[in-house]
Amino acid sequence: MKKLLLLLFVLLTTWSFAQNFTLKGLVTAAKDGQPLTGVTVVVKGTSRGAITDGQGKYSIAVANGETVSFSFVGMESQSFVANSSQKVLNVILVESISNLNEVVVIGFGTQKKAVVTGAITSVKAADIQSMPVARIEQSLQGRTSGLTIAASSGAPGAASTVRIRGTTSINNSDPLYVVDGVPIDNGGIDFLNQSDIESVEILKDAASAAIYGTKAASGVVLITTKKGSSGALTINYSAYYGTQAPARKLKLLDATEYATLRNESALAAGKPIEFSNPQSLGTGTDWQDAVFSKDARIQSHELSVTGGNDRSTYYASFGYFNQDGIVAPSISNYKRYTIRFNSNHKIKSWLTFGNNLGYSYIKSQSGLNTNSEFGGPLSSAINLDPITPIVITDPTVASQSPYSTFPVYRDSQGHPYGISLLVGQEMSNPIAYMKSQAGNYGWSHNFVGNVYAEIEPIQGLKLKSSLGAKLAFYGNESFGQIYYLSATLSNLVNTNYYRANNQNLIWDWDNTVTYTRSIGKHNFSLLAGTSAQARSASGVNGNYLNLPVNSFGDASMNFSLANVNKIAGGFENQPYALASYFGRVTYDYAGKYLLTGILRVDGSSRFGSNNLYANFPSVSIGWNPYLEDFWPKNDIVNTLKIRASYGVNGNDNISDFAFVSTIGGGRNYVFGLDGTVIGYSPNAPANPDLKWEQTSQTNIGFDANLLKNFSLTFDLYEKITTGQLRQPNIPMYVGATGNPWANIAKIDNKGLEVELGYHANISGVKLDVKANGALMKNKVVYLGPDVTYYTAATFQASAYEISRVAVGQPIGEFYGFVPLGIFQTTANVLNYKSKDGTVIQPNAKPGDFKWADLDGDGQITTNDRTFIGNPTPNFTFGFTISASYKNFDLTLFGQGVSGNKIFQGLRRLDILKANYQTVVLGRWTGPGSSNSFPRLSDDDPNQNFSKPSTFYLEDGAYMRIKTLQIGYTFSNRLMKSAGLQKARIYIMGNNLVTFTKYTGYDPEIGGSSYGIDRGIYPQARSYMLGVDVSF
Amino acid sequence: MKNPFLYLIMITGVILLNTSCKKSFLEVTPKGIQLESNYYQNANQAFAGLVAVYNPLSWEAGGGDNTYIDDLGALNSASDECYAGGGGATDMSFWQVMNNYTVNATSGPQAGFWSKYYTGIYRANLLLQKINGGIPGLSDDVKARYIAECKFLRAYYYFDLVRLFKNVPLILAPLSSSEYYNVVQAKPADVYAQVEKDLNDAIPVLPSAIPTSENGRVTKAAAQALLGKVILYQNDNTRMKAAADLFELVNTSPNYALLSDFGAIFSPDNKFNKESIFEIYHTGSQNAGWGNWPNFQGNVYTQMVGPRSYTGPIYWSGGWSFNPVIANFALAMKSDPRYKYTIANIDSICKATGKSYVIGYQNTGYFIQKFAPLAKYVSTTGQAELNFPNDYIEIRLADTYLMEAEALVRSGTVGKAQYYLDAVRARVGLPSVPATLDNIYNERKLELATEGHRWFDLVRTGKAPSVLASKGFTAGKNEILPIPIKELYNTKLVQNPGYQ
Repeated sequence: MKKLLLLLFVLLTTWSFAQNFTLKGLVTAAKDGQPLTGVTVVVKGTSRGAITDGQGKYSIAVANGETVSFSFVGMESQSFVANSSQKVLNVILVESISNLNEVVVIGFGTQKKAVVTGAITSVKAADIQSMPVARIEQSLQGRTSGLTIAASSGAPGAASTVRIRGTTSINNSDPLYVVDGVPIDNGGIDFLNQSDIESVEILKDAASAAIYGTKAASGVVLITTKKGSSGALTINYSAYYGTQAPARKLKLLDATEYATLRNESALAAGKPIEFSNPQSLGTGTDWQDAVFSKDARIQSHELSVTGGNDRSTYYASFGYFNQDGIVAPSISNYKRYTIRFNSNHKIKSWLTFGNNLGYSYIKSQSGLNTNSEFGGPLSSAINLDPITPIVITDPTVASQSPYSTFPVYRDSQGHPYGISLLVGQEMSNPIAYMKSQAGNYGWSHNFVGNVYAEIEPIQGLKLKSSLGAKLAFYGNESFGQIYYLSATLSNLVNTNYYRANNQNLIWDWDNTVTYTRSIGKHNFSLLAGTSAQARSASGVNGNYLNLPVNSFGDASMNFSLANVNKIAGGFENQPYALASYFGRVTYDYAGKYLLTGILRVDGSSRFGSNNLYANFPSVSIGWNPYLEDFWPKNDIVNTLKIRASYGVNGNDNISDFAFVSTIGGGRNYVFGLDGTVIGYSPNAPANPDLKWEQTSQTNIGFDANLLKNFSLTFDLYEKITTGQLRQPNIPMYVGATGNPWANIAKIDNKGLEVELGYHANISGVKLDVKANGALMKNKVVYLGPDVTYYTAATFQASAYEISRVAVGQPIGEFYGFVPLGIFQTTANVLNYKSKDGTVIQPNAKPGDFKWADLDGDGQITTNDRTFIGNPTPNFTFGFTISASYKNFDLTLFGQGVSGNKIFQGLRRLDILKANYQTVVLGRWTGPGSSNSFPRLSDDDPNQNFSKPSTFYLEDGAYMRIKTLQIGYTFSNRLMKSAGLQKARIYIMGNNLVTFTKYTGYDPEIGGSSYGIDRGIYPQARSYMLGVDVSF
Repeated sequence: MKNPFLYLIMITGVILLNTSCKKSFLEVTPKGIQLESNYYQNANQAFAGLVAVYNPLSWEAGGGDNTYIDDLGALNSASDECYAGGGGATDMSFWQVMNNYTVNATSGPQAGFWSKYYTGIYRANLLLQKINGGIPGLSDDVKARYIAECKFLRAYYYFDLVRLFKNVPLILAPLSSSEYYNVVQAKPADVYAQVEKDLNDAIPVLPSAIPTSENGRVTKAAAQALLGKVILYQNDNTRMKAAADLFELVNTSPNYALLSDFGAIFSPDNKFNKESIFEIYHTGSQNAGWGNWPNFQGNVYTQMVGPRSYTGPIYWSGGWSFNPVIANFALAMKSDPRYKYTIANIDSICKATGKSYVIGYQNTGYFIQKFAPLAKYVSTTGQAELNFPNDYIEIRLADTYLMEAEALVRSGTVGKAQYYLDAVRARVGLPSVPATLDNIYNERKLELATEGHRWFDLVRTGKAPSVLASKGFTAGKNEILPIPIKELYNTKLVQNPGYQ
């Protein structure tokens, strides 16, 4: 394009007829004249290839008339016809000022970015490589606008909640992952090795995603793995090794403070004090130190081989990843081995076939309840009293019950681990708890891949058939020891050894016909295809009881046991099938006027015959005005593309056979001589009209390159999901077991997204800045004729829900009471009156919350609750700054959110004697002492603590420096002497700083308990050293 | 390029083949699921449907709030027999609020009771509908018996609903989806009338004696006793004679007799003994684990009332110390021969034997003995907590003796009242006392302690406000439970007085 394209310096121009000769030369960058290292030089149609060395020099054997091409990331590629009269060819590569020539994967095909009309963002390998994370979701966090990603836990290997343009559905809002054309089940994406990823495309608007029809409502993430490139064989080894530690520790009360406050709380309730001399208790036990590891190791190694010729290319890799958890590391670990082999063979000029095959083995230990208030080491560490010692060293105590009478855990010296007499229920000594879980693990073997063949019988017509599958074998093993953790947590009767073996198969067969042609300035491409998909899963498990051993290591299924002690189980998933037809037309006139139209027809086995098939149409248009003749030449707006799209997607993510009334078992009773008889009755009432959820989305946006160095993408969208599948709570007097499904709810998401890029080379410093930000607004529009809300989340044993899915509110909005401050004096209490003069809280005492009487009825009732905050951020942003100077490079990557609230529920309210965070030291103790933290009282008659209220909500905004990486690339001389093409070492810090006002461990709280902190496993702060070597 | 068009034709053929398979491809067959439309087609399926009608009787967990919902936990906590107890002031809060009468629309055991009984009613209604619609392979006798059992159970469920909630919807056929939100509460008298009608329908059909292989299924006497009790609860003295006549049929039946050993009545080794008229069956052989929640066939209440971390013999070590017996109640029984079979004085046992237990909330040292988790019944398979085999005897002969005595006294013709009162006392070696209402009620208190009758007796006799005053009982309100708050959303139901 334009004059910016190529500059060729021909130094020697002597014509001759030499057959073969060596072509040499120097490749430099146009901008600064510096030599370029690593430029790929390939003789087209042969297996000959070379790469420029550290001085930018190359040499390659060629014959007259052969085409030699030069390519390099971020530069326009160039090709020349070799001529023996010119044996030195120096090439100057010009940086692509825009990314318009980039190719974007769009689902069953690719498209040049210049003519893309949908809202698609790409993340390239270079952006996410050497990120110290196990899963792709974590790599994508903060990389593009419109993606809200929150880890469900900081545990190694934990999945994240991924939302593309907000929460699409009250049901499943997880995007569809498609890896090399193979759709992957939700959450099953962790088989992928990060280093194997070539690019990730995120289809955000409905028009782009429509090609995936009934699976695409929540957006599509297309992942393309690395392919081989023709040229010399390259071996690459990359690795990092590092240490992780928790970024933050909670400030909890020490033993003296705890005892003092417990006494105060008991006294306030008219009870005797519990601790006569709090001072004598000292600082006591720091349970957090007991569960956290300050040096948890993380490492990753990857070896890859790539190469090929013009006919066959291949990419093969082996990867190993191992991460210890920072919480209870003896039972928190994630290991993964991955192998990949991708190849592509152009057998004939018209026939291509190839494969993308990946295998991974994952072993993970996660014996923790992450983000659950009901036990688990972290929750115990927060709630246990600081008085109980970790280990009982006092022989008199150790010789008494329960230590003397129950099978308690002991340390290596034989001292029992302390059991709290103050804090019980699900809480237990975390060290002892870890021992009870020792050895238990889960595993999976995953085979994911496809094979394909493509025929091009005439120029432009391609017929492709691709068969893909994900076959997973997975399971877990656990041993239930005889143990005694506390009066409520014990297993005194039976050991049990449990093993499960399951398998899961998803297969997908796609057949497509593509015809691409240009007639004059009319460029068009037609696609038609069919797709068939099916899933199945099954498993068996066995549980052996009463083994003659008491540890995981000693357990075996070889022990001979009575049959009654061998319990078997199993399952199979209901069959699921999807059959689809789809077509796409893309057309442009001279690259100026762009049009894409898609129609997909999907049939799903999940819907009744009344609604077996669904149509998903979409259309998008674009205009590149800068190509128009009337466009004034200027240096401000270099390129501009305006886009608009509308489309409809679906979601069939409901349970199978929900459209018919089924009969369920387990409604048993005992008859006769102690024999249980199996009873059957209908499950939830049926709904034969059940159909897919429908999401329609309108998107307008533009892409521009400005002032040569800037790029800007802007999108505005509205996404409306109707007919969302709900099981509305029917009254209990109906007597049904379960609630029927119905197409009911409607949700609206609106948003605005901006992506900004800046690219410059300032006196030798190459600078590349990318920033993105997205605003979004989610609103529940309709939940049913009679339903204004339903409960979203509950908390501990509270009778009140803490969040609701309510009409007119964002999904999962927090709901509760509003304290207006604290009554400082009795006079304050008596003066707090309703309009008619009733004292609103006559039983309150100074130090209690003054609750807002929202309905004005003169008393505080359940009606005095309101919507008090949104757990989902309405603004997300991310930025990457990359800079390099000579041999040094630096990358800084940050990400954050704002506009959300977190429900800080770390303390167990139903455990009276649970420990507190030190913020409690600022509680109300007398007039004027506090207007925000109420008095402590064991009976809490004003329900200061047990009512969910704004008291528990905190600002969830944060900005996190996710990665800081500083690298050094070794000089050419050194590399050559070592026989290397390239060598780079780097140091990296991850999660270095988090700016937040939040008082818990970590403001990033995804998963099923979104925005509710029940003791989330925090993200680790880690420091790593890495190498990247190519041979 | 040989003949690319051949390939084109082949590929097109493949695509078309693929396409033509589509329809059957999407018609998948459910695995391990039976469709309602294909069910209730033979005798076995009808029987499985009947078992499902019985099933809610044994619910120990689950229900509208998905927690522990054993009836006795709430009823004993509410009466003057027990405190709620447990691990702390908020442990099983629905029982705590019954103990201190802070039960309100959002907090209480109501959703547990409500969903349990209405689930049973729906299943009875459904099976009645299916049987009336015709189930192949069902003999007339079996059909009649199933109908009678459904009616008995429907009556039993409605009786508990009406005495717990008073104002309840009366639903006698499965509701269609258009009816879900149009249901209104019936007059209590109409509910009672329907209960009586169902029982009167069932009585002639139900067998008077059943083989042990059918233990757990209802009998004629159970229906007669329940009908008598239903009449008794309506407090209409003009009908007491009718109630007494029903009890008389049961009390004179050769199938029943008082056991000479009071302690043997509740033993899991002695299920369906001669004194048992209507027994709710539990088993210790289900191998239940926590994963089976809430479908336990074991008795979880037994687990709930055991002492905590008890180190002595006889009792299970891992109880949860719920429903400790109130000291005054224990003292009132101390000299009674039934004391040791009713109350376990764990405190004194420990002191005497040098053993220990962990003090729970509201501990008195006295625990329930009738349903206590004895070490010898701790299941060796499955989760011990969930597999206690103890049954509840919902109606037993001593109860029908005393109910007949009461009905006779209230009908004005004392008749055999003295005989029945004396028989209950003589069985445990106590002398005769005059058959006055007070003495009969006092006998009920001692004889039937912690079996779930006391709270209802206090309420129906009007004694609750005074006897339960110290617990916070409010007259005119706490005689019934609030309607579960979830049932008021979008429906036409009205909350009970005092709970709005």
